[in-house]
Amino acid sequence: MNLKQFKQMFFAQLRMTFREKQAWFWGIFYPVILMSIFMLIFGSDSNEEFQTQVAIVHEQPNQTSELLFTQLEQIQIVELKTGKPVSREQAEEWVKEQEVSAAIVLPESGESTSVELIMNKEDEQSTSTQAVSATLDKILHQANLAIVGATPTYEIEYVSVSAGESNLDYSDFLLTGMIALAISQGGMFGMVDLVDMQRKGLIKRLRMTPANMSLFGLSDMVMRLVFSIIQIILLSLIGVLLFGANLYINFASLLVIFLIGALSFNALGYFFSSFSKTTEAYMGVANILSFIMMFLSGIFFPIEMMPDWLQPVSTILPLTYFAEGLRDSMVYEVSIFSSSLWLGIGILTLWGICAYLLGSWLYKRKSLVSVR
Amino acid sequence: MPILEVNQLQKSFGDIHAVQGISFSVEPGEVFTIIGPNGAGKTMTLEMIEGLVAPDTGEIHFGELNWKQHAIEIKKKIGVQPQSSAMFDLLTPKENLDLFASFYDKARSTAEILEIVNLTDHQNNQVKKLSGGQRQRLAIGLAMISDPEIIFLDEPTTGLDPQARRNIWEIITQLKSLNKTTILTTHYMEEAEKLSDRVCIVDQGRVVTLDSPSNLIEKLTKEREVRLSFQDGETAALDGELFSNQLESVIRTEREGTSLKLWTLNPEDTLLNLFKFTKEKDYLLEQVSIREMSLEDVFIAYTGKEWRD
Repeated sequence: MNLKQFKQMFFAQLRMTFREKQAWFWGIFYPVILMSIFMLIFGSDSNEEFQTQVAIVHEQPNQTSELLFTQLEQIQIVELKTGKPVSREQAEEWVKEQEVSAAIVLPESGESTSVELIMNKEDEQSTSTQAVSATLDKILHQANLAIVGATPTYEIEYVSVSAGESNLDYSDFLLTGMIALAISQGGMFGMVDLVDMQRKGLIKRLRMTPANMSLFGLSDMVMRLVFSIIQIILLSLIGVLLFGANLYINFASLLVIFLIGALSFNALGYFFSSFSKTTEAYMGVANILSFIMMFLSGIFFPIEMMPDWLQPVSTILPLTYFAEGLRDSMVYEVSIFSSSLWLGIGILTLWGICAYLLGSWLYKRKSLVSVR
Repeated sequence: MPILEVNQLQKSFGDIHAVQGISFSVEPGEVFTIIGPNGAGKTMTLEMIEGLVAPDTGEIHFGELNWKQHAIEIKKKIGVQPQSSAMFDLLTPKENLDLFASFYDKARSTAEILEIVNLTDHQNNQVKKLSGGQRQRLAIGLAMISDPEIIFLDEPTTGLDPQARRNIWEIITQLKSLNKTTILTTHYMEEAEKLSDRVCIVDQGRVVTLDSPSNLIEKLTKEREVRLSFQDGETAALDGELFSNQLESVIRTEREGTSLKLWTLNPEDTLLNLFKFTKEKDYLLEQVSIREMSLEDVFIAYTGKEWRD
């Protein structure tokens, strides 16, 4: 191998990628923006206690209402707006304006047995209103039991489980999905260079020199891997520092799934380039496939959330296995000997090899027509 | 011994016979120009010589070397500036030259090439920011980086302004002074005439004629066009026309008002007689000229096609 030539080729590739603003945008900023948007919408931090504001109408205090009032005051998830009971008119006003999630009207006399809950029609299904309603229901239930002198026999105890050593937060799920997406897009979109070089006659130009073309291809590949490593590090840092993702990485598994994944998606890009005459045609194909995969491969939400008839599609897409593999190796610390990891690696490799062989065949067929 | 010998090259694509038996040989140190109308097979011929396309039949020899057995050796001997001036747009001229230099065992220094193609001031700007002329000069620089014996320039001046063209002519003249062999194609007759040692006119995939520009013009010009205009009005011009028609060397005449055009096989003799006549008659001549023949006339005569720049 001619080291001097490889070094020059590699640094030329690296410079070109770093100077290409599109590479930065689609490779780094785009996944970060997507991740931020999805985190802001769905990723409310689960460590923080849920709390919501309510209004309490307590116009004619009596023994029953006092009892309920003190109980409500002690419950942490409901917070009294302005800290004290208000008039019914004021409470209704707040509910209408959506300044509180609900208003609770305490019984006006000892004989009265109903507690009114005033909700805004628009908010009836919202989590906070539902929570207030459930809380109130529970308090009343306990009060009822207390009156008849019984103690509750059954209680629900909430425990969440997850396959990994730690609980999989949405931020972890999303972060690993975004890394998979970014690397897959890097491969699928990146090979547009090849189309561009062909269109401009650069491949022809290089073939007029004694340059070693396989060395040139290799330098391109190595540069892409370097760029993907930058992607994985930057996105992980942003995920951990900004969105509180927790990573437990098995480096051996990560290295294998990363290499296989990056190479397979590059092979896909290579395949697209073999039949695209223009960069626009290439981008069209790459966009369609990446768009389909983005939503069907469990990047933003688990595959299980999709309708049953759609799920089989996910099981053939390469990004599904790449995202799963990255999750296994970056969050669940799955060891390199795990069979599920190797199933994913197998399917990714199959995609890569098929795409590469098809691409090479198309290139060869094309070259028979025009070049030697 | 010729540095390049091309023998009976043929190339067809289905029914289209792009090149139908082109032969020529190029001597070391000469500027050899191939001209021809669009679609004449110039670029295809060059691409076969450059090893990009295999000919259907025919042979190409670089001295002792041929493409089948010595592809790498030939690639080290030649430098090519293709028509599409393909290079890495996101790299600077210096980086492009450094990269291309790494393809060869021996290469000239990048700084030296930048100096020759007059890009030292722009060496650190990305290629995409260069003007057409600067790009073209860099493309020539890239062809020169390996210090090749033979350099191919495919329409190096097409689409450039006159100043940029002149810059490239200077480079070609410099190459000649370094005793390099240049194979050039061009759209500009003036350029071919000025720069070439020999010109090969190609049409419909065949060599129509091949010689030095002056020989080509000489061969063609059996008759020359002479123009005179008379100061003494139409009658004087008419007199002159009648006299000219009596001369043996004059083939035909054409008159428009006071100006007279005549075609003669012997301009010196014709003019001498005409001047004697006008002196006798006391006619005053305003303008006298013999039109210079150019390569353009040769081209038109051989291909029957108008030349379009």
